[in-house]
Amino acid sequence: MFDIELKAVSKKYAGTEEPAVKNLSLAVEKGSIVTLLGPSGCGKSTTLRLIAGFERPDVGSIALAGKVVSDSNTWIAPEKRGVGMVFQDYALFPHLNIFKNIGFGYKANDHNKRITEVIELVNLKGYEKRYPHELSGGQQQRVALARALTRKPVVVLLDEPFSNLDADLRVHMRLEVKRIIKESGATAIFVSHDQKDALAISDSIVVMNEGVVQQMGTPREIYQYPENKFVATFVGQSNILEGKMARDEESVITDLGIIPCSHTHGLKSGEEVYISIRPDSFEMDPEGQIKGRIKESTYTGESIDAVVEIVFDNGTRRDLLTHIHPEKEVKIGDLVRFKVLPHFIAVIRHD
Amino acid sequence: MKNNNMSQLNIKQNSEVGEETSPTILLFLRRIWLNIWHGNPPGPVLLLFGLTVAIIMSIPIIYVIWRSLFAGAERWMRLLDERIPRLLWNTLSLTAAVTVCTVIVGVSLAWIVIRTDIPGRNIWRWLLALPLVIPPYVGAVTYIIVFGRSGWARDFWRDTPWLVNSFGDYRVNIFSFWGIFFVLSMFTYPYVYLIASAALRKMNRNFEEAARSLGMSSSQIFWKVNLPFLRPAIGAGAILVSLYVLSDFGAVAMLRYVTFTAAIYFQRASFDTASAAVLSLVLIALTVVILWIESGTRKKNKYYQTANSYREPSILQLGKWKPLALLYVSAIFFVSVFLPVSVLVYWSNIGIRMGALNERFFGFALNSLRISGFAALLCMLLAMPVIYLKNRYPSVISGIIDRLAYGGYALPGVIVALGFIFIFNNHIPALYRTFYMIAIAFVVRFLPQSMQAGEASLSLISPRIDEAARSLGYPPWKVMLKVILPNMLPGVLAGGALVFVSSIKELPVSLMLRPPGFDTLAVRVYFEAHEAIYHLAAPAALLIIIVSIIPLRYMLSKY
Repeated sequence: MFDIELKAVSKKYAGTEEPAVKNLSLAVEKGSIVTLLGPSGCGKSTTLRLIAGFERPDVGSIALAGKVVSDSNTWIAPEKRGVGMVFQDYALFPHLNIFKNIGFGYKANDHNKRITEVIELVNLKGYEKRYPHELSGGQQQRVALARALTRKPVVVLLDEPFSNLDADLRVHMRLEVKRIIKESGATAIFVSHDQKDALAISDSIVVMNEGVVQQMGTPREIYQYPENKFVATFVGQSNILEGKMARDEESVITDLGIIPCSHTHGLKSGEEVYISIRPDSFEMDPEGQIKGRIKESTYTGESIDAVVEIVFDNGTRRDLLTHIHPEKEVKIGDLVRFKVLPHFIAVIRHD
Repeated sequence: MKNNNMSQLNIKQNSEVGEETSPTILLFLRRIWLNIWHGNPPGPVLLLFGLTVAIIMSIPIIYVIWRSLFAGAERWMRLLDERIPRLLWNTLSLTAAVTVCTVIVGVSLAWIVIRTDIPGRNIWRWLLALPLVIPPYVGAVTYIIVFGRSGWARDFWRDTPWLVNSFGDYRVNIFSFWGIFFVLSMFTYPYVYLIASAALRKMNRNFEEAARSLGMSSSQIFWKVNLPFLRPAIGAGAILVSLYVLSDFGAVAMLRYVTFTAAIYFQRASFDTASAAVLSLVLIALTVVILWIESGTRKKNKYYQTANSYREPSILQLGKWKPLALLYVSAIFFVSVFLPVSVLVYWSNIGIRMGALNERFFGFALNSLRISGFAALLCMLLAMPVIYLKNRYPSVISGIIDRLAYGGYALPGVIVALGFIFIFNNHIPALYRTFYMIAIAFVVRFLPQSMQAGEASLSLISPRIDEAARSLGYPPWKVMLKVILPNMLPGVLAGGALVFVSSIKELPVSLMLRPPGFDTLAVRVYFEAHEAIYHLAAPAALLIIIVSIIPLRYMLSKY
């Protein structure tokens, strides 16, 4: 069963040339966490606002928990959609204390009990009497999340919830927010431009660009087997090479040689394709077929990010981005040899 | 597919207009309606409310214009021949002279106080803004007392033989162009002064240092860097002053100088309302021209500076000019604050000893309090939905509503009063010349003051806050009351205070619309001063000034 269903939704803002969202269809399974991932201006926030009811689609239909909330004849106002929303700047009510913020709009008889329950869920016991400006960023975010969950909404929408937090807190809150949402059993959609947030919290990821969905899949699918160049380069770094499917249909012939791939989208032999090789897929090996000279190297602690210049037989040159194990010592100008590991290699259709 | 939660989306909400008869037309109309509001139309109640306010605010003026167009060709010809050229000259020359004078005085004072090491800078900054609390007609009263035909200055002149011997008889005539020019300049320069000081405080030192590094001298920098930089501020201040001079009735009438406002008032007093309407149309045209100039300059003169590199401007050493600067600043303070207030205190003292604070006086004070309090309350109630509509549902329609709401504010009070006389006399005689009629006229004149104050605080509340409340199940009207109102309450109250004070000071509308026997403090000041009963005028004037000090802090922080 799907909790959120968008069918062929388009939205163009007044005064703009291109629609913000083009013919978007999306179905989110009950209880799952989905992230809309993409650069700014890709239409991800618009999608979220369309679901929440703060924008109206030009065409298409939106259904929440099996009920149509928006199509050409139907319009249900945001306050009647039963959607919880966490805003980028949290939008806590400055004139209410934490207890009242969290209880805002919750009218049932078990009012106090439910609020206390939610406050415990987000670990904010003892802060009930404080006001939003007296809390740290992480605490404010917990309040915003708690407030969105109090009414037990079917759907929770989170708009860039981590973008205002510093790096350490961010890592911590990712786990925390995921736990809280899973415990509450809600279906959640995140919007993010940060691939690390997206990979860490999502059950599945929707990569968007220029209003169009580029790829949907689990974090692993998205990272390991990007379906087009945009996804390959936006989610993590990648080397994109041109090539041709080999006769066995399980490897690709490129300038680097024949590279075995385990995920080929069923492409037939002889077809022109791109191939995406993650920097981690290159391993230094004295026996490796690929030979190059180190052009740049950056020590990041976790690895050495090195650009290696390869000279092919026909004289053309090409830079490859590689990750070298940080224990190794390399200098600019060193000659090194690599082999390719097949796991992080994706074949991309020629568009 | 239908259930209780769904509502049909038609141009009129909740109407079950038959889809089967004209679905494409309806769809088309709905599309247009949604496009106007950028996909987010306001509720019908809010919209209707906004439209009603806009109509109330603009109808008196439209009515005056309408009336003037049907005043008859003969009347028009007569007025165009006899009165209008003279009035135009009087009004425009006064406006131009006062504007130039206030710009010179205001900018020079701002420069001295902000950019030089004049002793007591921080105190002067405040003191020089104080004329703002003295209504120009009160200022006029004090100068009539000092320089009038039986004033102190004449007595002093007559008793000082060498003055008489060397200059002849006392010849200062306060009831003249120069008298009204002086009074208006001294009590309106703070508009320019405040705006110019704000601009000077924001000026980045880096620009001046860049100019200096290019080899410019201090005076070159003033003309080439500082003055162009100040131009937007000077323009804004000058427009405020000129609009004020066009609309002023009290000071002009007391000093018996005839501009359009005074002429309209006296035409109306002799029951020639048609001629009053014709003169009003000319005055409206003048005002519109100035507003049009303003919108033009505002578009052109936008200077941006990089905020992150801001450094406070340096303080110039006055050196040998220090005594002169101090003398100048003190002189302005003396004539615009110290002297008028002293005169009022002196006469109030006499008045109180003669029993001026009697039941009659408290009756007038109570009238002022009641009418101003009621107008302030009305403004607070009406302003909130209108600014909410403008701010949260931007569109052509809400823009028009906003513009119309400013109509009565930009135009002189005598015109608003004239429009009210027309409308109530002809259509709502039950309320003609009642308490409520004045209160509504005050709302028409001063609603924008409370709108501005409310808007300042509403703009600090993120629209995300509204959305958060809506996603938590609150419909828009409830969001407005439970979330927005509590957060913008300080602004709404400040706006109420502004309206209250403006209403206390208000003269022309109260004068023209008051019911028989309903005199306010301002009206009493006008009449008593007219008949030279200063000991009765002074306590009322002093009370008005004291009340005016209330919102001064707010007004100073606004600039």
